[in-house]
Amino acid sequence: MIQLFRVSKTFGRDVEALADVSLHLRKGEFVFLTGGSGAGKTSLLRLIFRDLLPTSGQILVSGRNVVRLPEREVPALRRLVGVIFQDFKLLMDRTVAENLHYVARALGTPEAAARRKIGYLLRQVGLLHRANQTPYRLSGGEQQRVAIARALLNDPLILLADEPTGNLDAELAADVIRLLREVNARGTTILLATHNATLVKEQAKRTIVLKAGRVVEDNGA
Amino acid sequence: MRPTRVWSLLTETLANLRRGGWGGLAAVGAITVSSLILGCLWLLTVNLQAIMSDWKAQFEVVVFLRDDITAEQRDLLRRRLQTEAAVAAVQYTTKEEALAVFKRDLRGQASLLEGLGDNPLPASFQLRIGEEHHTPAAMRGLVASLERLEGVEEVLYGLEWIDQLARMVSGLQVVGWAVATILGGTAVFIVGNTIRLAVYARADEIEILRLVGATRGYIRAPFILEGLFQGLLGGTLALLLLFAGYRYVVWRLGLSPAGLLALDGGRFLEPLQVTGLLAAGAVLGGLGSLLSVRRFLKA
Repeated sequence: MIQLFRVSKTFGRDVEALADVSLHLRKGEFVFLTGGSGAGKTSLLRLIFRDLLPTSGQILVSGRNVVRLPEREVPALRRLVGVIFQDFKLLMDRTVAENLHYVARALGTPEAAARRKIGYLLRQVGLLHRANQTPYRLSGGEQQRVAIARALLNDPLILLADEPTGNLDAELAADVIRLLREVNARGTTILLATHNATLVKEQAKRTIVLKAGRVVEDNGA
Repeated sequence: MRPTRVWSLLTETLANLRRGGWGGLAAVGAITVSSLILGCLWLLTVNLQAIMSDWKAQFEVVVFLRDDITAEQRDLLRRRLQTEAAVAAVQYTTKEEALAVFKRDLRGQASLLEGLGDNPLPASFQLRIGEEHHTPAAMRGLVASLERLEGVEEVLYGLEWIDQLARMVSGLQVVGWAVATILGGTAVFIVGNTIRLAVYARADEIEILRLVGATRGYIRAPFILEGLFQGLLGGTLALLLLFAGYRYVVWRLGLSPAGLLALDGGRFLEPLQVTGLLAAGAVLGGLGSLLSVRRFLKA
């Protein structure tokens, strides 16, 4: 589903975010990407949905060569990939439901289908009762779950999650992981970046460890 | 495009216009001013050209006759005039007819005529000149040869004046285009700036749209439409102001003899020209936002 061949990414002249990374994620896998701050986790995720281009190397996502993808085909790639951002990226002046409708419209989902889907997803993440409130009135965990619901709007083949439990206490973090495992059980490939070692140990899934931009451990390759 | 998409695009554009506030107003104002000036020059040109073609159609050379001319000399002169290639038609006006016309023209101001003893007005031939001979050089030649004829007191023609007017009109057009181009450029710049601010203000939304895979056109369309709307609004305002100003001027001129004589009620822009003026506003707005979006919206 996702393949990286000797991918390197350098910012500016000498800031090396990733060095010679090769990976293969199979369809339906649930993979943890871990490592300290600045290890290159976020850069690696951004390369997969072409928010960044690598300095060298090739990236394949669902059969598409991401590096050589023409500009006009980038939106189609991004529709295959749901992303949960570290900072959520919610529109704070719109309600929870509007945040989801905003994206559904952009993806061309017909209005009635979007309404059904958004209702379903908000129930899934336990936020149906918050649908008409703005994110300001939501806790960090609730905002996180809105972001998850939004990433799932398009039934993505791949879900990338950047520190989705970063600002949550242990109990809420467990809720989020349970939710993501359900999504994974329905066939979505998940790559979850986190520096939370406890979480990784508990889940006992395939884990890729990055250190200074290099893969230093991969227990499932 | 699906109807829901059109609807959401429209509501989004309107919401953006509301959010734009003073910046949006400045953009509309700039387009209004430049379209208004363009429209004024256009209107002036249209009217001056109309006046000129009226005058050209009515254009005649008047050959005033000496009071002591004999009937024989007069007939000879008429035949001589009719042989001129440039002359299309010859009409004779007696002294009495000239006075009658004069009195008619001065109706209501009869007191002016009281001191008039003998009829001081000369008899004259009015010559209609063929369109192809309406050039200053040809006219000068004709007039010079007519003035030498026996029994002729004076030859009058107004073509040089018309020619000067024509030069003025084409000068006006050059100046008009220059001014309109400069102002249009300014308007494009101001619209571009407004749209840039709108792009910055909505940076969060744009980023989200980009990352979830919205197409470039989807992201850009509301901004382009916003500029088009501003342009259309500016063009419409300019047109309304122009029409109001035009009515005012016609009303003021209507009170003066010059207005009655020359403007013949005047004329406003043709429907096609009105459309053109609106289109000019829309193009200015659309161009400004297009350039701005290209530059500041990397999607």
